[in-house]
Amino acid sequence: MQRNKIWNLLVPILSILLAFVIGMIIILCLGSNPFQAIGYLVKGAFGSRTNLANTVVRSMPLIFTGLCTCFAYRCGVFNLGGEGQFLCGSMAAITVALLIGKSGWWVTLIAIFAGTVAGGVWGLLPGILKTWRGLNELITTIMFNYVATLFMGYLYTTALREGSVPQTAPVPEATEIGRIFPGLRITWGIVVALVVGIAMWYFLFYTSKGFQLRAVGLNPTACRFNGLSVKRYMLAAFVISGAVAGLGGACDILGTQFRLISGYGSGYGFDGVAIALIAQLNPIATMIVAYFFAVLRVGSTTMQVGTGVPTSVVDIIQALVIIFAVAGTAAMHLPQIRSYLQTLGEKKEAN
Amino acid sequence: MEEILRMEHISKQFGDFYANRDITFGVRKGEVHTLLGENGAGKSTLMNVLVGLYQPTAGRILINGKPVRIESPAQAVRLGIGMVHQHFMLIEAMTVLQNIILGDTRDKGLFIQHEERKQEIVALSQKYGLDVDPDAKITDISVGAQQRVEILKALFRGAEILVLDEPTAVLTDIEVEKLYAIIDRLKGEGKSIVFISHKMREVLHVSDRITILRAGKAVCTLDADKTDGRELASLMIGRELSESNYKKIESEQEPVIELVDVDYNKSSKHNGLNGITLKVRRGEIVGVAGVDGNGQSQLAQIVTGVICAESGEVVLKGRKVSHVTAADFIAQNVSHIPEDRNRMGLIGDMTVEENLLLKSTQKCEFCEAGGWRLKKKAMKAYTDEMRDKYDIRCRSGEQEIRSLSGGNQQKVILARELEAQPDLLVAVHPTRGLDIGATRYVRDAMVAARDKGCAVLLISADFDEVLQLSDRIVVMFEGRIMGEYPGENPPVQAISYAMTGK
Repeated sequence: MQRNKIWNLLVPILSILLAFVIGMIIILCLGSNPFQAIGYLVKGAFGSRTNLANTVVRSMPLIFTGLCTCFAYRCGVFNLGGEGQFLCGSMAAITVALLIGKSGWWVTLIAIFAGTVAGGVWGLLPGILKTWRGLNELITTIMFNYVATLFMGYLYTTALREGSVPQTAPVPEATEIGRIFPGLRITWGIVVALVVGIAMWYFLFYTSKGFQLRAVGLNPTACRFNGLSVKRYMLAAFVISGAVAGLGGACDILGTQFRLISGYGSGYGFDGVAIALIAQLNPIATMIVAYFFAVLRVGSTTMQVGTGVPTSVVDIIQALVIIFAVAGTAAMHLPQIRSYLQTLGEKKEAN
Repeated sequence: MEEILRMEHISKQFGDFYANRDITFGVRKGEVHTLLGENGAGKSTLMNVLVGLYQPTAGRILINGKPVRIESPAQAVRLGIGMVHQHFMLIEAMTVLQNIILGDTRDKGLFIQHEERKQEIVALSQKYGLDVDPDAKITDISVGAQQRVEILKALFRGAEILVLDEPTAVLTDIEVEKLYAIIDRLKGEGKSIVFISHKMREVLHVSDRITILRAGKAVCTLDADKTDGRELASLMIGRELSESNYKKIESEQEPVIELVDVDYNKSSKHNGLNGITLKVRRGEIVGVAGVDGNGQSQLAQIVTGVICAESGEVVLKGRKVSHVTAADFIAQNVSHIPEDRNRMGLIGDMTVEENLLLKSTQKCEFCEAGGWRLKKKAMKAYTDEMRDKYDIRCRSGEQEIRSLSGGNQQKVILARELEAQPDLLVAVHPTRGLDIGATRYVRDAMVAARDKGCAVLLISADFDEVLQLSDRIVVMFEGRIMGEYPGENPPVQAISYAMTGK
């Protein structure tokens, strides 16, 4: 069994290395020195305290959406609505923060709570559609993303608009989530993200309900025969994964972005899906992969400035990681490869 | 009469297991030749060899006297062999016409000559009395019509030999009559038909000749007008009374479960129950004999709470139950060894340990703080104990259950279900696919459970198993109970006859 775990770790690492090799070839074809480019990438991400802090800031929303996907998929629910749930969290949080009119830490708490609930409700709706009417959640959750995005447009252009630019008023300063270190943009939101991740990991692998939830995800028929309420678990997975994304949205708007503008949050949901899949649905690994994604994003800007290699090369690397990781994981399930690994292992044991 | 198709000494081996062993089988032009046999007798394997899905381990196939190698279904089509599968291979969103011409290579050009194809199909359907509307969508037509589309599809591709795999299983009585008429027309036009079935009545009605398969071997070939159901039944089941190694008991204790006039999906003969009345007492094994697909699955699911009876009474431990779930039955100490262990019993990607504890992680032995903390050590210790007690052979409790052999998987289920100290154990095909050692183990365990006072409902398509283990035997046919017989010195002839619906 140790062997299996090693392979689970090896597949994503190999995919990342392979993706980087191909990325470097592309950089070479663009006429730049790939090692120099990677050097800039690393420097951009880790070169200074500020840069390092930026990677952490960038990773926070990705951790939330990654965990959102991770939790839902563990229960066999393919929630692609992380983005919509994230946005609902942001919208609810900023609306509450602006409407209360006063400011203070207690407003922050209420706003975060509102964001979490809003995300959960946005997850509940497709959940109800699936468990009651059998609608495919792949489609409904994507549709709900559009609804959330468009509603956000209504908020920043009309309802909560401030001034001539289409954007909302900022969150009052006293309501913002505080920074951990003075001078760095890292907020307590990252701590919330880590706590949620660890709690999710503990729940899935160390509690009875988490165990049953994973069982439902792997074989709902067997669970029905063994007396588990499959629908209830699925619905719970929708709500909780939505709430996690919503909490992320609240932390992001109250700690990092402060106002809703056009294009806010775009891509977080699908990045989250990619992250969770590369992490093979392990919450701890999800947090690590999310950080890796953030490093790529932050580093790529420096790379572009330093060498003229466009940031889209990093998008390519990121896409390749996803392809290789998913293909690699799928390949591990092929019977031929399984039996080959089995014989490989047995030979080692025999020696 | 000349034989259009001849399969000579066909053997098909999977590992050490012979699905077909030295079968010789011939079909004449213009005849209906039935392959009769129980589930697992090797009918489907033989036909899969014929249509090129499997390569035979030994033997050869001759068509019109010439030896051929059939390497793919496409080649089988070219040789004039058409198969109508039990589960139709149709695309529901497309029309009849589109389904029939799908994969056809008559149109060499870029465009399909729809009108021409349609006329050909209409002509073909009139010739054989296969009335279907070529422009109707598959979703909109009845199951019988879908079957006619499948037959048309085969004929359109030039089939001379038609294989019909259990064609009546999905049809209503009226549609069955229609199918018989179509078969007659096809015969009249000189087509040959291989009819696969395990139902005596229709086989006698429709066939010219019958070949009986049993345990992968061809028992004999008979002319349909020179035999009767009784002979066919005993040839198909082929068992004399085998000495039971287990002591039979007549239990007088209170019933654990009682069904009174229970109906479920009554109109279906093969997936429904019709007026079932049944009692299982403490300390007895009631065996349900019958050919697979006569409502046994539904019976098992009703007595374990997976589905609810549509009418009638289900009385569990003296209390009438109405709207229930499997969880309610489990809470009442009902255990279930389901028919399909991989789909219904186990979670393949989880470990031996997790599967063993699937129902019990909420118990205080294995968790604390109301389920918020699992006692991993206790779980591991329990798994090791179970591995010893039930002789589950695996490298460790952390091994994925998927990688275990069928026998060991079944032992995991057995351990999980019996350790719950059930009052009622429902076991469906508990030894299907197991080797002799594991079979023996499972059977001993069920008898031991009975001796401890558990009520056991054994549902099995293995007639021998029912005879060996049951204290009482009931026979199911088309959703009904055909009769009840004692487990001590059971009247084997009468029972096997009842299994065929007489």
